[in-house]
Amino acid sequence: MSTDRFCEDLTALLPRLRRFARGLTHDAADADDLCQQTVERALKSRQSWQDGTRLDAWVYRIMRNQWIDEVRARTRRSQTFTSAEEGANVGGSDDRAAENLVELGNVGRALARLPEDQREAVMLVLVEGFAYKEAAEIMGVPQGTLTSRLGRGREALLRELGEIA
Amino acid sequence: MSVTDEEFAAYADGELAGPDADRIAAAIASDPALAARLDAECRLRQTLHAHFAPVTAEPVPERLTLPIVAAAAEPAEQRMTDSQTREAGAAPATSARIFDLASARVRRNVENLPRRRPSWSGSWTTGIAAAAALVLGIALGTQVQQEDAKLTPEGTLLATGRLAKGLETRLAADVDAKDLRILASFQREGGGYCRVYAAGRSSGIACRESPGWVLERTTTGDTGQAGTYRQAGSAQAELMGAAQDMAAAPPLDAAQERAARARGWGK
Repeated sequence: MSTDRFCEDLTALLPRLRRFARGLTHDAADADDLCQQTVERALKSRQSWQDGTRLDAWVYRIMRNQWIDEVRARTRRSQTFTSAEEGANVGGSDDRAAENLVELGNVGRALARLPEDQREAVMLVLVEGFAYKEAAEIMGVPQGTLTSRLGRGREALLRELGEIA
Repeated sequence: MSVTDEEFAAYADGELAGPDADRIAAAIASDPALAARLDAECRLRQTLHAHFAPVTAEPVPERLTLPIVAAAAEPAEQRMTDSQTREAGAAPATSARIFDLASARVRRNVENLPRRRPSWSGSWTTGIAAAAALVLGIALGTQVQQEDAKLTPEGTLLATGRLAKGLETRLAADVDAKDLRILASFQREGGGYCRVYAAGRSSGIACRESPGWVLERTTTGDTGQAGTYRQAGSAQAELMGAAQDMAAAPPLDAAQERAARARGWGK
């Protein structure tokens, strides 16, 4: 694929990438930071993308891995610095997190409460519309693991949102 | 006949085909409890999609688009530096300008949407953004393909060949399809299913009638040159507007679309 074509296709993916990032991070600023890192990483490593395979799955995988790295780094930081300023909150500063919870609404809060691995399974299959096989590849897990995470995430959401959904 | 949770989920997620799907569909048809569960599944998807719809409808911030524009311009710049012909340096600027114009077009398409039915204009807005993104792809060199259609003795235009097959089987979620993309599926008055499609440089609205997919509207925009994709963009915005006028309800979400396909697009 030519550079132009790669760039056009990546540009066309941006609205979906922002949605996936919003689902993973449940924070608008974090989401666009994550998107930017993903775009930069995708451009830098575009030689390793294989023509003929799905570009979207490849980029989603980059984004997902970047986010997992970020979550781990934040967890390490919060374990290292336990002072009140640094906070023990993995999702960002306490103020922003509290503000966010209000803005997220019922659906956003229900999603935010899911464990990371269930949330990404829900996002990939129910929101982004990936088939099980593709979603499992993006997450780097066997398909059975994907379906069990998806099942638990879906149950939790149906329980929480059953009234309004 | 028993259906396991895994089978039920796989069916709802569109993972089953053929006899497997038929068996679950039959079980759902004969068991109100299963039907209610499928209904709850569909509502959950709708709720999630509605929650994220504003994000996909937003204009994409420049800090995400600009690095891509820069990368697209890079090789051209490189070549020119190499050959010492920098004064002929229109190529990178042109490429950047095409991207700018295209993204401005995306924004305008979204802003210019008909807003006659504000209660669900959001879901159509997403469709327009997808259409505009598609136009960007076409404008910058995607292969174009003639649509397949024939005129019936009754004077209607009936889809044939790959177009007919695509309309029957393709889902709006198949966003990476290059030959035929479904921009939206909806039900019109009376319950019949219609689909807004784009195939190469032609696009249109097709509705399922007894003989097959009848092309209710078609447009052809010559998108071969950078200067003319403007018309293609407005044509698709018009199509989405026309679809909204024809539709009796909001566009189908992914699960509803799969369910309609599984029923062979019967009312």
